[in-house]
Amino acid sequence: MISIKEVLILVALFFSIGVYGVLTRRNTIGILMSIELLFNSACLSFVTFSKYYYPAFLKGQIFVLFIISVAAADTVVGLALLLCIYRKLKDVYVDRINIMKG
Amino acid sequence: MSERILFYCIAVITILSAVGVVSARNIFHAGLLLGSTLFSIAGLYLILGTEFLAAVQVLLYVGGILTLILFAIMLTVKLSDKSIKQTSEQKGISICISIVIFGILCGCILKTEMANISKSGIMTTPSDIGKHLFVYEVLPFELLSILLLVALIGAIILARKEEGEK
Amino acid sequence: MFKFACVIPFLPFCAFAITGLFTGKHRRVSQNISIFAIFFSLCLSVLILMEMLVVPGNYEFQLPWLKILPSLPIEIGMLINPLSSVMLVVVCTVSFFVQVYSAGYMHGDSGYCRYYTFLSLFSFSMLGLVVSNNLLQMYIFWELVGICSYLLIGHWYFKPEAANASKKAFIVTRFGDFGFLIAILIISYKVQTFNFLELQHILETGAIPHSMITVIAILLFCGAMGKSAQFPLHIWLPDAMEGPTPVSALIHAATMVAAGVYLVARTYFIFSISGTALTLVAIIGCFTAFFAGSIALVQDDIKRVLAYSTVSQLGYMMLGLGVGAYTAGFFHLTTHASFKALLFLCAGSIIHSVKTNNIWEMGGLYKNMKITAITFLIGGLALAGIFPFSGFWSKDEIILGAYNSGHYILFGIALLTAAFTAFYMARVFFVVFFGKKKSVHTQRGIKAPSTYHESPSVMTIPLIILAFLAAILGIFTHKFGQFIHYGPHLIEGEHNEFIPVISNIVAIVSIFFAWVIYQKEAISSAGMARQFSIPYKILKNKYYVDEFYSFCVRNILFVISGAAGWFDRNVVDGAVNVVGSGIKAFGSLLRKTQTGLVQNYAIGLFGGIVLIWFIVKIIVK
Repeated sequence: MISIKEVLILVALFFSIGVYGVLTRRNTIGILMSIELLFNSACLSFVTFSKYYYPAFLKGQIFVLFIISVAAADTVVGLALLLCIYRKLKDVYVDRINIMKG
Repeated sequence: MSERILFYCIAVITILSAVGVVSARNIFHAGLLLGSTLFSIAGLYLILGTEFLAAVQVLLYVGGILTLILFAIMLTVKLSDKSIKQTSEQKGISICISIVIFGILCGCILKTEMANISKSGIMTTPSDIGKHLFVYEVLPFELLSILLLVALIGAIILARKEEGEK
Repeated sequence: MFKFACVIPFLPFCAFAITGLFTGKHRRVSQNISIFAIFFSLCLSVLILMEMLVVPGNYEFQLPWLKILPSLPIEIGMLINPLSSVMLVVVCTVSFFVQVYSAGYMHGDSGYCRYYTFLSLFSFSMLGLVVSNNLLQMYIFWELVGICSYLLIGHWYFKPEAANASKKAFIVTRFGDFGFLIAILIISYKVQTFNFLELQHILETGAIPHSMITVIAILLFCGAMGKSAQFPLHIWLPDAMEGPTPVSALIHAATMVAAGVYLVARTYFIFSISGTALTLVAIIGCFTAFFAGSIALVQDDIKRVLAYSTVSQLGYMMLGLGVGAYTAGFFHLTTHASFKALLFLCAGSIIHSVKTNNIWEMGGLYKNMKITAITFLIGGLALAGIFPFSGFWSKDEIILGAYNSGHYILFGIALLTAAFTAFYMARVFFVVFFGKKKSVHTQRGIKAPSTYHESPSVMTIPLIILAFLAAILGIFTHKFGQFIHYGPHLIEGEHNEFIPVISNIVAIVSIFFAWVIYQKEAISSAGMARQFSIPYKILKNKYYVDEFYSFCVRNILFVISGAAGWFDRNVVDGAVNVVGSGIKAFGSLLRKTQTGLVQNYAIGLFGGIVLIWFIVKIIVK
């Protein structure tokens, strides 16, 4: 039998890895992928709580559906912005893009 | 017991491929490993008993988002320069922050008194979800559709070549 | 009748507003409006005086004005009593004649309309000052006459001397006004009323400690010293002669400078309680009279002689008030207004013709300017206190008052000053009208004495009328004494016949000496100047008071202000600059955080979450 804490610790680990990716990836696409990891960890925790505490209650799963959709929209816009930046600056490495430096 | 072994196997695969996603030198490999991660998340959904979500995960994430990301990689990155360093200088502090966040989360999880209940065996069919969605959540659903439409149009306008641009 | 009193100051104000706003281009219209306004004021004030003679008393009208503090209502109003009704007539008369006279004197001046506008403003302010029923309102008009004086001294503002003189007049009187203001503040705090009648009532009940009253009286006297040019604040009045001569006659001889004396007379109930303050007034007045009279002996500028004479006579008035000869002091103000205005207007007539102020460049004018000469003679005799001219009656009463009060030193000085007065007036008269005829170097070349001519009738008629007044005012001495007095009227039974005779003899002897020196030239004046070279030099340089002040300013004030300036530049500004540059440095430090790198911001985001977690943790514990 899998206890809820095991699943949640997996989620926490997964989330931390995503944070690490967001903070260190130089490539913009890498950052976007790390953000997907963060989204997934959140989804997983929703599903877990839903299944363990409110099995007959579908809100948790519906929420995950919404998150997936929003993540899709997010990724689409993110990639479009990325293409724009790439066309303007010929670069996708965020540590070289500092035109907003104060 | 077998379920538990399966859970641990999938968990290990998930973590390993996630680590791969954030640390692979070749961005293309990272993309592929992201696919593997998403698949294993779908597996976890199955274990948790939400088949519909597992299917959506595979269809939307692996089929849609991952494909999109791989396209973007191919559009922007010359695959020949795969030896370029992929992690920035703030690696040390990033590791610290990640570990601290992990520690905080674990501390919270372990400290919280949670009712030691097992997950329920109630299966939810796609038709249940559909009914629930269209009975109770119609407005958010429609708003979501507008959001997706806006994102679509926005992405087209952003990514379109500007006039006069080669 | 008394309820029309408020019209008196109001008419010149209307004239001021109309001439100032609308008729700035029409000389004749501006002039006529001003003259008619003051003429009607004159008629009204004469009517009021007539009625006051029949039914004397205090008539007060007031309106509530400001209610800042419930315990201290500030009102605007008028107090008509014998004192103010006489002063109204004096001010209106002199204003009227000076305005008429100015039509001739200022003819062709580029600032003609402006001149009349300010004259009307001055008349308004002065009349407002006279009728004020409370100290605060009086202070407001007090400052208004000050600003009019400033504007009119600086009428020819393009001349640097005139511009400087106007500034000097304004700044020096400020020193005195400061005392006046503090006195008002103390009164508002201690007595909680500004109204003269209420103030008198409260003070007479003895509710206010004696020492406090002395302080108030001395501070009020400071204000009077500034306006009435008493030593040591007398230095502005001689310089104020840079203004047009009719202005000198009106403001700096007859009315505004008398405002200080009027203030003391109006608040005499304060002074009379404090013997110390009265003695101070007497001493300052007497010293100023002597001091200015001695300077006037050697001045060459005809207007300056008259200016020092004015200072000296104001000193007499203060002396009169100080020794308790209230009636005499105020009567001297009245007579002085007539004969000093007359003398100044005569001087103006001479200057108008000769175009110089130096008496040694005039000479032999009697042949050409008979009316001016005779009126000047009458004014001079009145000033010198020769029987039976008006000055005799008022001045001798002051000297008598000094004698009766037991201040024999003051009496002696006053008598000596009377000799000075007679001497310098005779000197000016003989030199100007009977001296050797001289050709004068003017800006337009050499002017021969034969071309001098009498002034137009618009100027000579006021002279004649004023001369008439100066001659006959003495017959009202007794009537005046019954009319204006402080406390119960005392019939001065101990009329000393001896003292008027002495003072007349002294004056006539002085005149004789002047005649010998300047007319017969039996004694060389230059030789005397050589013989008494040190006193002569001191007098010529006006006791070096101006030099002393500028020495003080240079060596004390400038050092202090230099130190203050250094402190301001380096410490105050330094502190401000340090704050400014500190913030700037901090800003450029903060600027470093804006790297433009997205991942640095992400570090902030997640690191911030961690930080907040720990902070919350600590707080919850």
